[in-house]
Amino acid sequence: MSTIVTMALKDIRLLFRDRLSLFFVLLWPLTMAIFFGAMFAGQGSGPESVPVALADEDRTAGSERFAARLAELEGLAVEAVPRERGLDLIRRAQAPVLVTLQPGFGAALDNPFVTTPRLEMAVDPRQIAVAGMVRGLLLESAGAELADLMADPDRMAAANAANRSGIAALPPSAARDEFLTFLDTTPRISSLLEELGIGGATAAATRGGAPLEVEQTAVQAEQRGPTNAYATTFPQAMIWALIGGAASFSLSLTLERSRGTLLRLLVSPTTARQVLASKALAALATSVAVTTALIALGIAAFGVEPSSYPLLALAVLCGAICFSGLTMAFSVLGSTEGGTAGVSWGVMLPMSLLGGVMFPLFLMPLWMQHLSNVSPMKWALLALEGAVWRGFTPVEMILPCSVLVLIGVLAFSFGASRLRWSAD
Amino acid sequence: MLLFDHVSKCFGDLRAVDDLSFELEAGEVFGLLGPNGAGKTTAINMAVGLLEPDEGVVRFADEAFDRNPRDAENRRSLGLAPQSIALYEQISGADNLRFFGRLHGLRASDLEERVAACLDFADLTDVGKKVVSKYSGGMQRRLNLAVAIIHDPELVLLDEPTVGVDPQSRNAIFERVEQLRDEAKQIVYTTHYMEEAQRLCDRVAILDRGRLMALDTVPALIEAHGGPGNLVVHHGNDEDRHETTDPLGTLAELQARHAVDHFQYLPPNLETVFLNLTGRALRD
Repeated sequence: MSTIVTMALKDIRLLFRDRLSLFFVLLWPLTMAIFFGAMFAGQGSGPESVPVALADEDRTAGSERFAARLAELEGLAVEAVPRERGLDLIRRAQAPVLVTLQPGFGAALDNPFVTTPRLEMAVDPRQIAVAGMVRGLLLESAGAELADLMADPDRMAAANAANRSGIAALPPSAARDEFLTFLDTTPRISSLLEELGIGGATAAATRGGAPLEVEQTAVQAEQRGPTNAYATTFPQAMIWALIGGAASFSLSLTLERSRGTLLRLLVSPTTARQVLASKALAALATSVAVTTALIALGIAAFGVEPSSYPLLALAVLCGAICFSGLTMAFSVLGSTEGGTAGVSWGVMLPMSLLGGVMFPLFLMPLWMQHLSNVSPMKWALLALEGAVWRGFTPVEMILPCSVLVLIGVLAFSFGASRLRWSAD
Repeated sequence: MLLFDHVSKCFGDLRAVDDLSFELEAGEVFGLLGPNGAGKTTAINMAVGLLEPDEGVVRFADEAFDRNPRDAENRRSLGLAPQSIALYEQISGADNLRFFGRLHGLRASDLEERVAACLDFADLTDVGKKVVSKYSGGMQRRLNLAVAIIHDPELVLLDEPTVGVDPQSRNAIFERVEQLRDEAKQIVYTTHYMEEAQRLCDRVAILDRGRLMALDTVPALIEAHGGPGNLVVHHGNDEDRHETTDPLGTLAELQARHAVDHFQYLPPNLETVFLNLTGRALRD
C-alpha cells in the first residue's frame, strides 16, 4: 500500500509541477464558474437587460403606450432610435434586435377585433436566441395590451363603435345581428368574430393563437441578399483557426529549446530576434493561409458571400498579425512545452469567452461587455463579420483592424524583449 | 585561435568555471576532460558566445583578426555539436543539413556539394532522404556531428559526442574526429571518458569543479602526475598489486620470492592523473 501511496503522491506532485494540467484541473473550472456565475447571476444584482432598439414610425397614442410598456419590462433595455440607426446598431453588433412599430400599429392595437397589430423585428443572425426571448416579451406585452383593452369599458366601447358601422354593412345574417346585439358582450366576441370569419387578435387569442404578428428579418439578408447561416459561422471558425494556430506555434520555440535545436540556431550567424521573427512569420503565413482556406471553402461550398473582398483580406491580415504577435508573447512565457501550452490556452480560452466567440456578448453583464474590449477575439470577430456580412465600410473597419494590429505589435515586442538570449 | 584568459562564470552560488585560461594551437585536438559538473559545457557555451563570462575574456584572435565569440563572422568559422542530439526529427537527414547550411549562407550547388559531403562523412548517404526519427541512435549521433561541419568551419567544438552510444558507434565517431584532425581542423573535444581523451587529443585540460587542474600533452600529464604504474601478479589463488616505476625489476624480485603464474602491468593513465590531482576517480 505504501508503494501505491508513494506513487500517487509523486503523480500529484508532478501535476502541480505541470502548469498545463494544473490550469485545466484547477484554473479553467474556476474560470468557468466565475464567468458563468457573473454572466447569469450578475453577481447578485439580477440578470442584465437585453438592449433593444425601438423605432416608432407610427407615433400614435397606441404605439407610444406599447413602447412605454416595453420600456418598463424587466429584461429589456429599450433605446428609442430611428429605424436606420437601429439597423446600423445591429450591423455593428451593438444591439441584437430592432423592433419597428410601423404606421397603423397603434390603431390596430386599440381595435384588435378586425386587424392584428403587426410589427417588424430585425435581428442579428448571431443572436437568434436573444431574438426569441425578445419575441416572447413582445407577445407578452401584446397580450397584456389586449387584456387591458377588454378590461376597460370605455376603450372597448370606443372600439366597438368604430367597428359597428363596418359590421352593419355586412350581408344580413343571424350571426351579424347577434354580433351587433351583443357587440359589447366581451366573452362572446371572439366566437362571433370567428363565425363571421373576421379574425383579429381577440379571435386569435381565444383560439390559442398570437395576439400579435411579428415579422422577423435578418439584417444582413435585408441588405445583402438571402440569409445564410454559414456567413455567421465561418467567421467564428476562422477565429478558432487563429486560436488553434497561435496555441500550436507558441510551442514552436519551446520545442526548439527542448530538442536542442535552439542552441544550433543561436550559434549560427543569426540573431535571437531573427529566430523570433521567423517564428512570427511562420505563424502569420499559416494563420493567413488557414483562414483564407476556410473562408474560400465557405464561399465555394456553403454560399457565403462576403460583402467586401478587399476588407475581408484586410480583416484576415490584421487578425493574423494580432495572433502571430500573441504567439510570440506566449512562446517566451513558458520554459517547458506544458508550461507554454498552459499559458497560451490559459489566456486564449478566457479571452474567447469574454470576446463573444463562445457566447453572445449581450448575455453578459454590462461590466463584462466593457471588459470584452480587451479580448483580441472580440475585435477579430468584429472585423471578420464586418467584412463578411455586417457590410462595414472601410471607415468602420479602422477601429477593429487598428486594435488587432496594435495588440499584435505589442505582443511581439513583449516576446522579443523577453526572449532568452543565452542557452541556459 | 580560441583564447580563454582568466575566465570565470557563476550560476548563483555555483562557480561553474573558475579562472580558466588556455589557448588553442593550430591544427590540434584540444580535450576538456573532467567529470559531470566540471564546467566543460559552460566553457563550450562561452566559447560559442551563448554565455558571457563574468570575469576574463574569450576571444578568437590571431595576427589577422580579433573577434568576440558573438560576432556573426566568427560564427561562420566555428561549428558546434551539442551534447544532446539537436536535430529536427520530422525531416530527413539531408534536409537537416540543407537547413543549417542555408543558415550559414550556403546556396545552390555549394550547398548540395556540402550536403553530399557531410552525408558521406557521416556514412549516411544511403539514408539521407529518410526522416531522422527513423535513424538509430548512432546514426543520429553521426548526423549531429555532420551538421556541425556543414559550413566547413575552421574550429569544431564537440561536446561529449559519444554520450549514450554503443561501442561500435563510438568507434565510428572516433574515426570521424580523426578524419577532421587529418583535414587540419581545430577541434575542442569535451569528454569524461579518459580513453577518448587519451586516444584523440593532442593536449588535454583537466577540469574539476570549474578549475583547471592541469594542461599539457597526454604523455606529459602522465609523466608529471600519473605516478607509478601497477604490476598485478597472480600466484596460486592469490592476486597481489604492486606500485612500480620499474615493472621488469619488480617482477624479477617477485619471481625470486615465489612462483608467478601470470601478471599484468597497468601503466599510469589519465584516470590516475585525475585521481592524483583531485583525490577522486574520474567517474565519481
